Amino acid sequence: MNEAALVLEQIRTPMAGSPHVLDVDLRIAAGEFVALVGPSRSGKSLVIELAAGLVRPEAGRVVLLGHEWNDTQESEQTPVRLRVGTVLQQPGLLSNMTLFHNVLLPLRYHHGAMPERSREQAVMAQLERLGVAPMRDRFPAELNQGEVRRAAIARALILDPEVLLLDDPVAGLDAEMVLALKACIEEHRAHHPLTVVAALRAFSPLIEGADRLAVLQDGRVVADGARDTVACAVPEMLRKYVE
Amino acid sequence: MLLHEKDGLQRMIEWVGRKAIAGYTYLAALATLFTQAVLDLLLPTRQGRGETLRVLVRQILFTGVDALPVTTVIALLLGIIIVTQAGTQLPRLGAGGLVGSIIVVTVIRELGPLITAFIVVGRSGTAIATELGNMSVTREVVALRLMGISISRFVIMPRMVGMVLSMLCLTLYFDVVAVLGGYLIADAQLTIPFYAFVESITKALSTTDVLMTAIKGLSFGSAVAAICCYHGLAVRSSFTEVPQQTTRAMINSFVLCLLIDVVVTVPLYL
Repeated sequence: MNEAALVLEQIRTPMAGSPHVLDVDLRIAAGEFVALVGPSRSGKSLVIELAAGLVRPEAGRVVLLGHEWNDTQESEQTPVRLRVGTVLQQPGLLSNMTLFHNVLLPLRYHHGAMPERSREQAVMAQLERLGVAPMRDRFPAELNQGEVRRAAIARALILDPEVLLLDDPVAGLDAEMVLALKACIEEHRAHHPLTVVAALRAFSPLIEGADRLAVLQDGRVVADGARDTVACAVPEMLRKYVE
Repeated sequence: MLLHEKDGLQRMIEWVGRKAIAGYTYLAALATLFTQAVLDLLLPTRQGRGETLRVLVRQILFTGVDALPVTTVIALLLGIIIVTQAGTQLPRLGAGGLVGSIIVVTVIRELGPLITAFIVVGRSGTAIATELGNMSVTREVVALRLMGISISRFVIMPRMVGMVLSMLCLTLYFDVVAVLGGYLIADAQLTIPFYAFVESITKALSTTDVLMTAIKGLSFGSAVAAICCYHGLAVRSSFTEVPQQTTRAMINSFVLCLLIDVVVTVPLYL
Protein backbone atom coordinates (compact mmCIF):
# COMPACT_ATOMS: atom_id res chain seq x y z
CA MET A 1 0.00 0.00 0.00
CA ASN A 2 1.19 3.53 -0.81
CA GLU A 3 2.32 5.85 1.96
CA ALA A 4 -0.66 7.55 3.58
CA ALA A 5 -1.29 11.15 2.52
CA LEU A 6 -4.01 11.64 5.10
CA VAL A 7 -4.73 9.72 8.28
CA LEU A 8 -7.67 10.41 10.55
CA GLU A 9 -6.99 8.08 13.45
CA GLN A 10 -9.74 7.30 15.96
CA ILE A 11 -11.28 10.72 15.57
CA ARG A 12 -14.08 11.66 17.93
CA THR A 13 -15.34 15.20 17.90
CA PRO A 14 -18.73 16.91 18.24
CA MET A 15 -20.56 18.00 15.10
CA ALA A 16 -21.97 21.55 15.25
CA GLY A 17 -25.73 21.63 14.76
CA SER A 18 -26.10 17.89 15.15
CA PRO A 19 -26.70 15.62 18.14
CA HIS A 20 -24.21 13.13 16.68
CA VAL A 21 -20.49 12.87 17.23
CA LEU A 22 -18.06 12.43 14.35
CA ASP A 23 -16.44 9.06 14.91
CA VAL A 24 -14.17 8.12 12.03
CA ASP A 25 -11.00 6.24 11.29
CA LEU A 26 -9.79 6.90 7.75
CA ARG A 27 -6.53 6.32 5.93
CA ILE A 28 -6.07 7.78 2.47
CA ALA A 29 -3.08 6.71 0.42
CA ALA A 30 -0.94 9.13 -1.56
CA GLY A 31 -2.35 9.60 -5.06
CA GLU A 32 -5.75 8.22 -4.12
CA PHE A 33 -9.03 9.96 -5.00
CA VAL A 34 -11.55 9.45 -2.22
CA ALA A 35 -15.10 10.76 -2.42
CA LEU A 36 -16.85 11.32 0.90
CA VAL A 37 -20.55 10.96 0.22
CA GLY A 38 -23.66 11.11 2.32
CA PRO A 39 -26.55 13.32 3.33
CA SER A 40 -26.23 16.82 4.83
CA ARG A 41 -24.98 16.92 8.43
CA SER A 42 -23.35 13.52 8.10
CA GLY A 43 -19.89 14.93 8.94
CA LYS A 44 -18.29 15.25 5.46
CA SER A 45 -17.42 18.93 5.80
CA LEU A 46 -16.04 18.36 9.28
CA VAL A 47 -13.73 15.66 7.89
CA ILE A 48 -12.46 18.17 5.31
CA GLU A 49 -11.97 20.83 8.00
CA LEU A 50 -10.14 18.34 10.23
CA ALA A 51 -7.93 17.33 7.33
CA ALA A 52 -7.20 20.99 6.57
CA GLY A 53 -6.19 21.60 10.18
CA LEU A 54 -8.98 24.11 10.78
CA VAL A 55 -10.61 22.07 13.54
CA ARG A 56 -8.84 20.13 16.27
CA PRO A 57 -10.56 16.91 17.27
CA GLU A 58 -11.49 16.24 20.88
CA ALA A 59 -9.92 12.81 20.56
CA GLY A 60 -7.71 11.15 17.97
CA ARG A 61 -5.12 12.58 15.62
CA VAL A 62 -5.02 13.95 12.11
CA VAL A 63 -1.87 13.44 10.06
CA LEU A 64 -1.58 15.14 6.70
CA LEU A 65 1.49 14.45 4.56
CA GLY A 66 3.27 13.07 7.63
CA HIS A 67 2.51 16.18 9.63
CA GLU A 68 0.32 15.98 12.72
CA TRP A 69 -1.92 19.03 13.08
CA ASN A 70 -2.38 18.62 16.85
CA ASP A 71 1.33 19.18 17.47
CA THR A 72 1.74 22.23 15.28
CA GLN A 73 1.58 25.91 16.04
CA GLU A 74 -0.14 28.17 13.54
CA SER A 75 3.17 29.77 12.56
CA GLU A 76 4.69 26.38 11.67
CA GLN A 77 1.86 25.28 9.39
CA THR A 78 2.85 27.20 6.25
CA PRO A 79 5.17 24.53 4.73
CA VAL A 80 2.35 21.97 4.88
CA ARG A 81 -0.30 24.39 3.69
CA LEU A 82 1.75 25.05 0.55
CA ARG A 83 1.45 21.33 -0.30
CA VAL A 84 -2.31 21.28 0.16
CA GLY A 85 -5.05 22.98 -1.87
CA THR A 86 -8.34 23.41 -0.05
CA VAL A 87 -11.73 24.68 -1.17
CA LEU A 88 -14.38 24.89 1.54
CA GLN A 89 -18.14 25.17 1.11
CA GLN A 90 -17.70 28.94 1.25
CA PRO A 91 -14.75 29.31 -1.13
CA GLY A 92 -13.56 32.63 0.35
CA LEU A 93 -12.40 34.41 -2.79
CA LEU A 94 -11.11 37.84 -1.78
CA SER A 95 -13.90 40.27 -2.61
CA ASN A 96 -11.60 43.21 -3.33
CA MET A 97 -9.67 41.36 -6.03
CA THR A 98 -10.63 40.26 -9.52
CA LEU A 99 -10.85 36.57 -10.23
CA PHE A 100 -7.47 36.74 -11.98
CA HIS A 101 -5.77 38.39 -9.02
CA ASN A 102 -7.39 35.95 -6.61
CA VAL A 103 -5.75 33.06 -8.43
CA LEU A 104 -2.51 35.00 -8.84
CA LEU A 105 -2.27 35.85 -5.11
CA PRO A 106 -0.73 32.55 -3.82
CA LEU A 107 1.88 32.67 -6.61
CA ARG A 108 2.76 36.28 -5.89
CA TYR A 109 2.91 35.65 -2.15
CA HIS A 110 4.90 32.42 -2.16
CA HIS A 111 6.84 32.67 -5.42
CA GLY A 112 8.01 36.27 -5.37
CA ALA A 113 11.10 35.44 -7.45
CA MET A 114 9.07 33.90 -10.30
CA PRO A 115 8.82 36.24 -13.32
CA GLU A 116 5.46 38.03 -13.40
CA ARG A 117 4.86 36.88 -16.99
CA SER A 118 5.29 33.21 -16.03
CA ARG A 119 2.94 33.67 -13.09
CA GLU A 120 0.30 35.26 -15.29
CA GLN A 121 0.62 32.50 -17.86
CA ALA A 122 0.19 29.87 -15.16
CA VAL A 123 -2.92 31.63 -13.86
CA MET A 124 -4.47 31.95 -17.32
CA ALA A 125 -3.77 28.28 -18.07
CA GLN A 126 -5.52 27.28 -14.85
CA LEU A 127 -8.49 29.58 -15.52
CA GLU A 128 -8.85 28.24 -19.05
CA ARG A 129 -8.73 24.65 -17.81
CA LEU A 130 -11.67 25.36 -15.54
CA GLY A 131 -13.56 27.49 -18.09
CA VAL A 132 -13.46 30.79 -16.21
CA ALA A 133 -10.86 32.66 -18.28
CA PRO A 134 -13.48 34.99 -19.86
CA MET A 135 -14.41 36.20 -16.36
CA ARG A 136 -10.82 36.99 -15.37
CA ASP A 137 -11.42 40.69 -14.73
CA ARG A 138 -14.64 40.28 -12.77
CA PHE A 139 -14.91 40.55 -9.01
CA PRO A 140 -16.35 37.63 -7.01
CA ALA A 141 -19.61 39.53 -6.39
CA GLU A 142 -20.16 39.67 -10.17
CA LEU A 143 -19.84 35.90 -10.63
CA ASN A 144 -22.35 33.11 -10.10
CA GLN A 145 -21.83 30.38 -7.52
CA GLY A 146 -20.38 27.89 -9.99
CA GLU A 147 -17.90 30.40 -11.40
CA VAL A 148 -16.76 31.37 -7.91
CA ARG A 149 -16.27 27.72 -7.02
CA ARG A 150 -14.29 26.99 -10.18
CA ALA A 151 -12.12 30.05 -9.54
CA ALA A 152 -11.50 28.83 -5.99
CA ILE A 153 -10.50 25.40 -7.33
CA ALA A 154 -8.16 27.11 -9.81
CA ARG A 155 -6.63 29.01 -6.88
CA ALA A 156 -6.26 25.80 -4.88
CA LEU A 157 -4.47 24.09 -7.80
CA ILE A 158 -2.19 26.98 -8.75
CA LEU A 159 0.65 25.91 -6.43
CA ASP A 160 0.54 22.31 -7.75
CA PRO A 161 -0.49 20.79 -4.41
CA GLU A 162 0.07 17.18 -3.42
CA VAL A 163 -3.32 16.99 -1.72
CA LEU A 164 -6.57 18.59 -2.84
CA LEU A 165 -9.36 18.90 -0.27
CA LEU A 166 -12.70 19.85 -1.80
CA ASP A 167 -15.91 20.47 0.10
CA ASP A 168 -18.92 20.26 -2.18
CA PRO A 169 -16.93 21.12 -5.33
CA VAL A 170 -19.88 20.66 -7.70
CA ALA A 171 -22.27 23.05 -5.90
CA GLY A 172 -23.64 25.54 -8.42
CA LEU A 173 -21.92 23.85 -11.38
CA ASP A 174 -23.92 22.86 -14.46
CA ALA A 175 -23.50 19.36 -15.93
CA GLU A 176 -20.95 20.51 -18.46
CA MET A 177 -18.88 22.22 -15.80
CA VAL A 178 -18.93 19.16 -13.56
CA LEU A 179 -17.45 17.17 -16.45
CA ALA A 180 -14.89 19.94 -17.03
CA LEU A 181 -13.93 19.81 -13.35
CA LYS A 182 -13.66 16.03 -13.50
CA ALA A 183 -11.43 16.29 -16.57
CA CYS A 184 -9.31 18.94 -14.87
CA ILE A 185 -8.76 16.77 -11.79
CA GLU A 186 -7.96 13.74 -13.97
CA GLU A 187 -5.48 15.80 -15.99
CA HIS A 188 -3.77 16.97 -12.81
CA ARG A 189 -3.65 13.44 -11.44
CA ALA A 190 -2.15 12.21 -14.70
CA HIS A 191 0.73 14.68 -14.45
CA HIS A 192 1.26 14.94 -10.68
CA PRO A 193 0.80 12.50 -7.82
CA LEU A 194 -2.31 14.29 -6.53
CA THR A 195 -4.38 12.96 -3.63
CA VAL A 196 -7.98 14.16 -3.80
CA VAL A 197 -10.53 14.12 -0.99
CA ALA A 198 -13.90 15.47 -2.13
CA ALA A 199 -17.03 15.76 -0.02
CA LEU A 200 -20.15 15.35 -2.17
CA ARG A 201 -23.72 15.71 -0.97
CA ALA A 202 -25.36 14.20 -4.04
CA PHE A 203 -24.43 11.73 -6.73
CA SER A 204 -22.19 13.37 -9.28
CA PRO A 205 -20.12 12.28 -12.29
CA LEU A 206 -17.13 13.24 -10.15
CA ILE A 207 -17.74 10.04 -8.18
CA GLU A 208 -16.97 8.01 -11.30
CA GLY A 209 -13.41 9.28 -11.18
CA ALA A 210 -12.94 8.34 -7.52
CA ASP A 211 -10.82 5.33 -6.57
CA ARG A 212 -12.73 4.91 -3.36
CA LEU A 213 -15.96 5.99 -1.74
CA ALA A 214 -16.52 6.56 1.97
CA VAL A 215 -20.21 6.85 2.81
CA LEU A 216 -20.95 8.84 5.96
CA GLN A 217 -24.12 8.92 8.01
CA ASP A 218 -24.61 10.61 11.38
CA GLY A 219 -20.87 11.07 11.84
CA ARG A 220 -19.85 7.48 11.06
CA VAL A 221 -18.42 5.81 7.98
CA VAL A 222 -21.05 3.21 7.09
CA ALA A 223 -19.30 1.92 3.97
CA ASP A 224 -15.83 2.36 2.56
CA GLY A 225 -14.29 0.91 -0.58
CA ALA A 226 -14.56 0.79 -4.35
CA ARG A 227 -17.78 2.11 -5.83
CA ASP A 228 -19.22 -1.30 -6.77
CA THR A 229 -18.50 -2.76 -3.35
CA VAL A 230 -19.93 0.24 -1.56
CA ALA A 231 -23.10 0.24 -3.69
CA CYS A 232 -23.87 -3.26 -2.43
CA ALA A 233 -22.85 -2.57 1.16
CA VAL A 234 -24.73 0.65 1.92
CA PRO A 235 -28.26 0.67 3.31
CA GLU A 236 -31.01 1.19 0.73
CA MET A 237 -31.67 4.79 1.80
CA LEU A 238 -28.04 5.77 1.07
CA ARG A 239 -27.78 4.00 -2.28
CA LYS A 240 -28.88 7.11 -4.17
CA TYR A 241 -25.67 8.83 -3.10
CA VAL A 242 -23.46 6.28 -4.83
CA GLU A 243 -25.48 5.18 -7.85
CA MET B 1 -30.39 41.82 55.91
CA LEU B 2 -26.69 41.61 56.71
CA LEU B 3 -26.50 38.52 54.55
CA HIS B 4 -28.17 40.45 51.71
CA GLU B 5 -25.68 43.30 52.02
CA LYS B 6 -22.82 40.83 52.03
CA ASP B 7 -24.22 39.16 48.95
CA GLY B 8 -24.54 42.53 47.23
CA LEU B 9 -20.99 43.54 48.15
CA GLN B 10 -19.64 40.18 47.11
CA ARG B 11 -21.46 40.40 43.81
CA MET B 12 -20.07 43.88 43.23
CA ILE B 13 -16.52 42.74 44.00
CA GLU B 14 -16.98 39.77 41.70
CA TRP B 15 -18.30 42.07 38.97
CA VAL B 16 -15.33 44.42 39.37
CA GLY B 17 -12.97 41.42 39.35
CA ARG B 18 -14.56 40.02 36.20
CA LYS B 19 -14.37 43.39 34.44
CA ALA B 20 -10.74 43.83 35.50
CA ILE B 21 -9.82 40.39 34.17
CA ALA B 22 -11.72 41.07 30.93
CA GLY B 23 -9.96 44.43 30.57
CA TYR B 24 -6.57 42.88 31.20
CA THR B 25 -7.26 40.04 28.73
CA TYR B 26 -8.40 42.56 26.12
CA LEU B 27 -5.30 44.73 26.51
CA ALA B 28 -3.08 41.64 26.45
CA ALA B 29 -4.72 40.52 23.19
CA LEU B 30 -4.16 43.96 21.67
CA ALA B 31 -0.53 43.92 22.84
CA THR B 32 -0.01 40.47 21.29
CA LEU B 33 -1.53 41.61 17.99
CA PHE B 34 0.66 44.71 17.99
CA THR B 35 3.84 42.83 18.94
CA GLN B 36 3.29 40.21 16.24
CA ALA B 37 2.75 42.96 13.65
CA VAL B 38 5.98 44.69 14.75
CA LEU B 39 7.87 41.38 14.54
CA ASP B 40 6.45 40.80 11.06
CA LEU B 41 7.65 44.25 10.08
CA LEU B 42 11.14 43.81 11.50
CA LEU B 43 11.91 40.15 10.75
CA PRO B 44 13.50 39.88 7.32
CA THR B 45 11.64 37.60 4.91
CA ARG B 46 11.02 37.87 1.22
CA GLN B 47 7.79 35.91 1.42
CA GLY B 48 4.85 38.04 0.39
CA ARG B 49 6.83 41.27 0.48
CA GLY B 50 5.40 42.67 -2.77
CA GLU B 51 1.80 41.81 -1.91
CA THR B 52 2.15 43.20 1.61
CA LEU B 53 3.63 46.41 0.22
CA ARG B 54 0.61 46.77 -2.08
CA VAL B 55 -1.76 46.49 0.91
CA LEU B 56 0.38 48.99 2.82
CA VAL B 57 0.32 51.55 -0.01
CA ARG B 58 -3.47 51.18 -0.34
CA GLN B 59 -3.84 51.73 3.40
CA ILE B 60 -1.69 54.87 3.36
CA LEU B 61 -3.64 56.24 0.40
CA PHE B 62 -6.97 55.59 2.12
CA THR B 63 -6.07 56.59 5.67
CA GLY B 64 -3.62 59.37 4.95
CA VAL B 65 -4.05 60.91 1.50
CA ASP B 66 -7.84 60.55 1.22
CA ALA B 67 -8.28 62.08 4.68
CA LEU B 68 -6.47 65.31 3.75
CA PRO B 69 -9.55 67.32 2.66
CA VAL B 70 -11.59 66.61 5.80
CA THR B 71 -8.53 67.11 8.01
CA THR B 72 -7.84 70.45 6.33
CA VAL B 73 -11.37 71.73 6.87
CA ILE B 74 -11.56 70.64 10.52
CA ALA B 75 -8.07 71.96 11.33
CA LEU B 76 -8.77 75.33 9.69
CA LEU B 77 -12.07 75.71 11.52
CA LEU B 78 -10.54 74.69 14.84
CA GLY B 79 -7.68 77.17 14.41
CA ILE B 80 -10.16 79.92 13.60
CA ILE B 81 -12.34 79.10 16.65
CA ILE B 82 -9.44 78.93 19.11
CA VAL B 83 -7.76 82.12 17.93
CA THR B 84 -11.11 83.94 17.88
CA GLN B 85 -11.81 82.92 21.47
CA ALA B 86 -8.27 83.54 22.67
CA GLY B 87 -7.89 86.78 20.72
CA THR B 88 -11.10 88.27 22.11
CA GLN B 89 -10.97 86.98 25.71
CA LEU B 90 -7.27 87.20 26.61
CA PRO B 91 -6.83 90.96 25.96
CA ARG B 92 -9.63 91.65 28.49
CA LEU B 93 -7.48 89.92 31.08
CA GLY B 94 -4.41 91.76 29.92
CA ALA B 95 -2.93 88.60 28.43
CA GLY B 96 -3.23 89.38 24.71
CA GLY B 97 0.34 88.19 24.12
CA LEU B 98 -0.56 84.65 25.12
CA VAL B 99 -2.39 83.83 21.88
CA GLY B 100 0.63 81.87 20.65
CA SER B 101 0.85 79.89 23.88
CA ILE B 102 -2.83 79.06 23.69
CA ILE B 103 -2.42 77.70 20.16
CA VAL B 104 0.61 75.64 21.13
CA VAL B 105 -1.01 74.26 24.27
CA THR B 106 -4.46 73.54 22.89
CA VAL B 107 -3.79 72.66 19.27
CA ILE B 108 -0.26 71.29 19.02
CA ARG B 109 -0.10 69.54 22.38
CA GLU B 110 -3.67 68.37 22.78
CA LEU B 111 -6.39 68.88 20.20
CA GLY B 112 -4.28 68.28 17.10
CA PRO B 113 -3.35 64.68 17.92
CA LEU B 114 -6.72 63.92 19.54
CA ILE B 115 -8.96 65.29 16.80
CA THR B 116 -6.78 63.69 14.13
CA ALA B 117 -7.16 60.39 15.96
CA PHE B 118 -10.93 60.86 16.04
CA ILE B 119 -10.99 61.61 12.30
CA VAL B 120 -8.89 58.51 11.57
CA VAL B 121 -11.04 56.32 13.84
CA GLY B 122 -14.24 57.57 12.17
CA ARG B 123 -12.94 57.19 8.63
CA SER B 124 -10.39 54.40 8.53
CA GLY B 125 -10.70 52.56 11.84
CA THR B 126 -14.33 51.73 11.21
CA ALA B 127 -13.51 50.84 7.61
CA ILE B 128 -10.82 48.38 8.76
CA ALA B 129 -13.10 46.78 11.35
CA THR B 130 -15.91 46.45 8.81
CA GLU B 131 -13.65 45.10 6.07
CA LEU B 132 -12.03 42.49 8.31
CA GLY B 133 -15.41 41.60 9.81
CA ASN B 134 -16.87 40.95 6.38
CA MET B 135 -13.75 39.00 5.41
CA SER B 136 -14.22 36.82 8.49
CA VAL B 137 -17.88 36.09 7.73
CA THR B 138 -17.25 35.24 4.08
CA ARG B 139 -14.35 33.04 5.20
CA GLU B 140 -11.77 35.03 3.26
CA VAL B 141 -9.59 35.05 6.37
CA VAL B 142 -9.76 31.24 6.59
CA ALA B 143 -9.03 30.99 2.86
CA LEU B 144 -5.88 33.09 3.36
CA ARG B 145 -4.76 30.80 6.20
CA LEU B 146 -5.38 27.77 4.01
CA MET B 147 -3.17 29.26 1.30
CA GLY B 148 -0.37 29.57 3.85
CA ILE B 149 -0.70 33.37 3.87
CA SER B 150 -0.01 34.85 7.28
CA ILE B 151 -2.95 36.92 8.56
CA SER B 152 -0.61 38.94 10.71
CA ARG B 153 1.85 39.67 7.90
CA PHE B 154 -0.61 40.15 5.04
CA VAL B 155 -3.67 41.60 6.79
CA ILE B 156 -2.73 43.19 10.12
CA MET B 157 0.83 44.49 9.73
CA PRO B 158 0.31 46.61 6.57
CA ARG B 159 -2.89 48.10 7.97
CA MET B 160 -1.15 48.90 11.24
CA VAL B 161 1.95 50.43 9.63
CA GLY B 162 -0.21 52.36 7.16
CA MET B 163 -2.36 53.72 9.93
CA VAL B 164 0.56 54.68 12.19
CA LEU B 165 2.41 56.50 9.40
CA SER B 166 -0.77 58.20 8.22
CA MET B 167 -1.74 59.23 11.76
CA LEU B 168 1.69 60.73 12.38
CA CYS B 169 1.70 62.72 9.15
CA LEU B 170 -1.94 63.80 9.52
CA THR B 171 -1.30 65.00 13.09
CA LEU B 172 1.61 67.18 12.02
CA TYR B 173 -0.40 68.39 9.02
CA PHE B 174 -3.38 69.15 11.28
CA ASP B 175 -1.20 71.26 13.59
CA VAL B 176 0.22 73.29 10.71
CA VAL B 177 -3.19 73.90 9.10
CA ALA B 178 -4.81 74.80 12.45
CA VAL B 179 -2.07 77.36 13.10
CA LEU B 180 -2.63 78.69 9.58
CA GLY B 181 -6.38 78.94 10.26
CA GLY B 182 -5.56 80.79 13.45
CA TYR B 183 -3.36 83.19 11.55
CA LEU B 184 -6.08 83.87 8.95
CA ILE B 185 -8.55 84.97 11.61
CA ALA B 186 -5.85 86.78 13.58
CA ASP B 187 -4.96 88.75 10.48
CA ALA B 188 -8.51 89.42 9.29
CA GLN B 189 -10.43 90.05 12.52
CA LEU B 190 -7.96 90.69 15.28
CA THR B 191 -5.43 92.60 13.18
CA ILE B 192 -2.50 90.81 14.76
CA PRO B 193 0.45 91.24 12.36
CA PHE B 194 1.96 88.12 10.82
CA TYR B 195 5.37 88.53 12.48
CA ALA B 196 3.79 89.03 15.91
CA PHE B 197 1.64 85.95 15.43
CA VAL B 198 4.56 83.81 14.31
CA GLU B 199 6.79 85.18 17.05
CA SER B 200 4.26 84.40 19.78
CA ILE B 201 3.97 80.81 18.50
CA THR B 202 7.68 80.20 18.07
CA LYS B 203 8.31 81.57 21.55
CA ALA B 204 5.76 79.24 23.05
CA LEU B 205 6.71 76.19 20.95
CA SER B 206 9.42 73.89 22.29
CA THR B 207 11.00 70.69 20.99
CA THR B 208 9.06 68.85 23.69
CA ASP B 209 5.79 70.04 22.15
CA VAL B 210 6.74 68.72 18.72
CA LEU B 211 7.99 65.45 20.21
CA MET B 212 4.84 65.15 22.27
CA THR B 213 2.57 65.59 19.25
CA ALA B 214 4.63 63.02 17.32
CA ILE B 215 4.58 60.51 20.20
CA LYS B 216 0.83 60.92 20.51
CA GLY B 217 0.36 60.46 16.77
CA LEU B 218 2.38 57.23 16.84
CA SER B 219 0.68 55.89 19.98
CA PHE B 220 -2.83 56.73 18.81
CA GLY B 221 -2.15 55.18 15.40
CA SER B 222 -0.86 51.95 16.96
CA ALA B 223 -3.77 51.73 19.40
CA VAL B 224 -6.48 52.46 16.84
CA ALA B 225 -5.04 50.01 14.30
CA ALA B 226 -4.68 47.21 16.87
CA ILE B 227 -8.21 47.75 18.24
CA CYS B 228 -9.87 47.91 14.81
CA CYS B 229 -8.02 44.84 13.48
CA TYR B 230 -8.82 42.93 16.67
CA HIS B 231 -12.54 43.69 16.54
CA GLY B 232 -12.75 43.04 12.80
CA LEU B 233 -11.17 39.62 13.21
CA ALA B 234 -13.34 38.93 16.28
CA VAL B 235 -16.39 38.60 13.99
CA ARG B 236 -17.28 34.94 13.70
CA SER B 237 -20.24 33.82 11.64
CA SER B 238 -22.87 36.50 11.12
CA PHE B 239 -23.01 39.80 9.26
CA THR B 240 -24.97 41.30 12.17
CA GLU B 241 -21.79 40.99 14.27
CA VAL B 242 -19.97 43.35 11.90
CA PRO B 243 -21.65 46.63 12.96
CA GLN B 244 -21.56 45.50 16.60
CA GLN B 245 -17.82 44.92 16.51
CA THR B 246 -17.27 48.10 14.49
CA THR B 247 -19.10 50.14 17.15
CA ARG B 248 -17.02 48.51 19.89
CA ALA B 249 -13.85 49.23 17.92
CA MET B 250 -14.81 52.89 17.57
CA ILE B 251 -15.76 53.44 21.22
CA ASN B 252 -12.74 51.54 22.55
CA SER B 253 -10.46 53.48 20.19
CA PHE B 254 -11.77 56.80 21.51
CA VAL B 255 -11.39 55.67 25.13
CA LEU B 256 -7.90 54.23 24.65
CA CYS B 257 -6.72 57.36 22.79
CA LEU B 258 -7.92 59.55 25.68
CA LEU B 259 -6.30 57.18 28.17
CA ILE B 260 -2.98 57.30 26.29
CA ASP B 261 -3.31 61.09 26.10
CA VAL B 262 -3.64 61.27 29.88
CA VAL B 263 -0.72 58.88 30.41
CA VAL B 264 1.52 60.89 28.07
CA THR B 265 0.43 64.38 29.12
CA VAL B 266 -0.04 64.28 32.89
CA PRO B 267 3.56 63.28 33.82
CA LEU B 268 4.77 66.38 31.97
CA TYR B 269 3.00 68.66 34.41
CA LEU B 270 3.74 66.78 37.62
